Amino acid sequence: MILNSRVAAIGVAVAAATLLAGCSGSASGSTTSTAGSAVEPLILYAAVGWDADMGKAFTKQTGIPVKVVDDSTGPLLTKIAAEKNNPQWSMLWADGDTAFASLAKQGQLLAYTPAASWNTVGQAIVPTDHTYNPTGTTVMAALIYNSAKVTSVPASYADLLGSAYAGKVGMNDPSQSGPTYPFIAGVMNQLGGQSGGVAAGETYFTKLKANGLKVFPTNGDTLHALETGQISYGLIQSSAATGETIKVKPTADYVPKIVYLPESTLLPSVIGIDKAVDATQQAEAKKFVDFALSPAGQKVMQAADASGDSLYWPVVNGVTALPDLPAFPAKYQRIDPGYWGPLQSQVVTWFDANIK
Amino acid sequence: MVQRLGDAATRMRINPLTFFWLLIVAILILPIVLFLAVAFSPRLLDQGPEWFTLSAFGSALTSHLLTGLVNSFLIGVSTAVLSAVIGFALSWIVLRTDAPARRIWTGVVFALLLTPSYLIALGWERLLEPNGVLQVLGVDAGWAHRIFYGPVGIVIVLTVKGIPFAYLAISNAMRGLGHEFEDAVRVHGGGPIAAMRVVFSLLGPAVWSALAIVFAESVSDFGVASTLANDAHFSVATYSLYNAVQAFPVNFPVASAVSWLLLVLVVLALVMQGWALRGRSFRVLGGRTRPVLRHQLSLPRKVICTLSLGLLLAVSLGIPAFGAVSASLIDGLGSLAGTHQWSLANYQRVIGSPALSDPLIYSAQLAAICATVTLILAVVCARLLASKGATIAGRILDLVLLAAVALPGIVFAAGYIFAYNLPFTNALGIHLYGTTALLVLAYLATALPSTSRVLVGTMSQIQESMSEASRVHGSGAIRSWLTIVLPVIARPLLSAWLLTYTATLLELPVSQLLAPPGYQPISVGITNTLGKYDFGGGTAMEVLAILSALVVVGVGYLLFRLLAPAGWQHIGRAR
Repeated sequence: MILNSRVAAIGVAVAAATLLAGCSGSASGSTTSTAGSAVEPLILYAAVGWDADMGKAFTKQTGIPVKVVDDSTGPLLTKIAAEKNNPQWSMLWADGDTAFASLAKQGQLLAYTPAASWNTVGQAIVPTDHTYNPTGTTVMAALIYNSAKVTSVPASYADLLGSAYAGKVGMNDPSQSGPTYPFIAGVMNQLGGQSGGVAAGETYFTKLKANGLKVFPTNGDTLHALETGQISYGLIQSSAATGETIKVKPTADYVPKIVYLPESTLLPSVIGIDKAVDATQQAEAKKFVDFALSPAGQKVMQAADASGDSLYWPVVNGVTALPDLPAFPAKYQRIDPGYWGPLQSQVVTWFDANIK
Repeated sequence: MVQRLGDAATRMRINPLTFFWLLIVAILILPIVLFLAVAFSPRLLDQGPEWFTLSAFGSALTSHLLTGLVNSFLIGVSTAVLSAVIGFALSWIVLRTDAPARRIWTGVVFALLLTPSYLIALGWERLLEPNGVLQVLGVDAGWAHRIFYGPVGIVIVLTVKGIPFAYLAISNAMRGLGHEFEDAVRVHGGGPIAAMRVVFSLLGPAVWSALAIVFAESVSDFGVASTLANDAHFSVATYSLYNAVQAFPVNFPVASAVSWLLLVLVVLALVMQGWALRGRSFRVLGGRTRPVLRHQLSLPRKVICTLSLGLLLAVSLGIPAFGAVSASLIDGLGSLAGTHQWSLANYQRVIGSPALSDPLIYSAQLAAICATVTLILAVVCARLLASKGATIAGRILDLVLLAAVALPGIVFAAGYIFAYNLPFTNALGIHLYGTTALLVLAYLATALPSTSRVLVGTMSQIQESMSEASRVHGSGAIRSWLTIVLPVIARPLLSAWLLTYTATLLELPVSQLLAPPGYQPISVGITNTLGKYDFGGGTAMEVLAILSALVVVGVGYLLFRLLAPAGWQHIGRAR
């Protein structure tokens, strides 16, 4: 064993040496130490289709470097939670304001009022304490249906409980699809309000299930079920629905159309600044938010992903939505993230046990 | 430099293994222990107000979770047994018979290892779904859909993912088992079945390694179960864990409490392994190991063999390949929309895109570094795990390695953030979190358990008398190892390196949480593309990444055949 442990020790030493040698090469590329200079790189945690483009455009405009961590909302929030005792992010940019309300409540977000002039929808979303700011909005849900196969078009959520829709409606699973909890919470809010809580909404979804509701993992899966004729009506995020009408050429058997049932729940893309970063980064991050809301920034957002995330409705005056988008739904609501955010785990678990 | 480091270690009179243990503590024990501590002490890492509480266990222990635990255990056991049986049969056919087409299987196994479970699930779905391909062809697949979308489907998909580990662990050990044992059985009047039974029991450490690693991998699964059993009401233990981590605010204490329960399952697996291998010796790999004689199969047996291998190939690789083709090569296959034409548009779109090339090169570099370092550490680990008479150190290492596998990747990565983003280490000027170095350390920790286990079978076969004889005749420790031990384990080492490379290249959860800002590993790039409903582009990127890794595997084996000394290639050779 003495022989082997000596060989082992050398092996470990070589391993350590290789590791250090290998990594120092890669790591040196990522250190942009700017000690003594007035500019610090911004670390942007983002789950929006335009994040990398926006980082480049902002750097070009201001000279401030932006390092983007481009990922889904879930892993980004997990990172932020795990970093709580020593935050490493400067800004978070993602869909849905419930997580932001929760971060604000924990005192992690820096209040900032940008220079932008909000339109009516924007005013409905901006929180009074300005701890985060919307940059655009989608809605939950768009009802996308195959007009080549069905003629009935519902006018309300209650209509979906009728026999014409039995076994034909599909939606996403809130435990796997980020935008779907805001939709469920929106229906609950519409039917029961904050005073009534979740009960009326639970009754509605139970009836919808009794009428043959089908649940698929995410927007893409629900769309696939629509394309294959497993369902004829799908409740998905507005940007995904509009994207489908752009991407898919109509055939004799498949002509997707979209209708917005009252009331549509706002699902804004939201940006927040980490309160824990130093004064230099805070000032830079404020510039970044202003840039995103400026005409130049909005142009970047609209150019990045023309059949996906760029299909949002603007929240600032002077910017028009991409031409593929219909007019903004007339009846919409903003759900209070401070009330509905903390109920997420409870509602998702209820949905998993009773509706799926 | 190597000599100097070794001498320095000896001069300092530190037990040389201290280095090894320090590294294990740093990359495995510390992150896991800190994560597990959060269940009792949320305040320790700013995850809640209490310094000590049991409330997280109260919230975690619901009837939902307990059902999930039982389900996970049953899934883990079925998957492990099935994978080990198939892995053993496959090794036997490939190494011990003259079955046709046996040579392709090493390639197939690496392809399986690389195939993401989402492609396997996608392939099955496209075939079986209502109005899916089978139904369009006039086959009623409704019954198959009902059976597959539930526990049966989960076990099938996880078994397909488990076969590579089982095959590599068992075949590595089978190569080291000369033909003399079978001869002995036959001389004493035993039939071919009795001979196979003896081989099977001599491979005990490898078989149990395979069982344990597949069990732990299956228990930690969430993606497969949640996708396939989405509407089957079949919950697994990891559901509560993901629910706690994915809702916001993230509830790490509850996730940590669920992790403790997953650890209980791992301890059960290790107790079973210890009980099965107790008090036996498996040292069969020596200088006089004889080349094996391939069994000449009769024609009917050849036919049966070929048919079974064909079926296995169709289920394990054919279906995900079909999924990839349907998603990336045929426009709107099986749907009412689209032209249903073959098209390379998705590939043309991604092949020159910087969204593919930069992340792929970055991930390939990290995978190569990680595979090299992991290999060295895995040899030490496997040696400790295989040492005669279970030592306390060996048992702790076994537990830690398996715990790292049984904890879902996202939890493991969160433990890394807890351990390497502490304010006081930052104050000392150490900034590891957010660097490529930490990502590689975490990859290393993720790969080490399976790589070690793949080598355990081989390492437990080595007869120490060979090295001892070499020392008696005057060779130094290093020279003895290089000239005596290395040649007999060279081929298993190569397959272990390739295993680590391929497994690391597409690793997702650790990459998501620990990649440095501004750098994107390929797996994160693919997931983001798929997340934007670009199934065609995402799948094309995935297929290209898999092909790149298969090229590495091919080149690896080719170089071994061309460059390795003849003696190195001797072990496991058949006549």
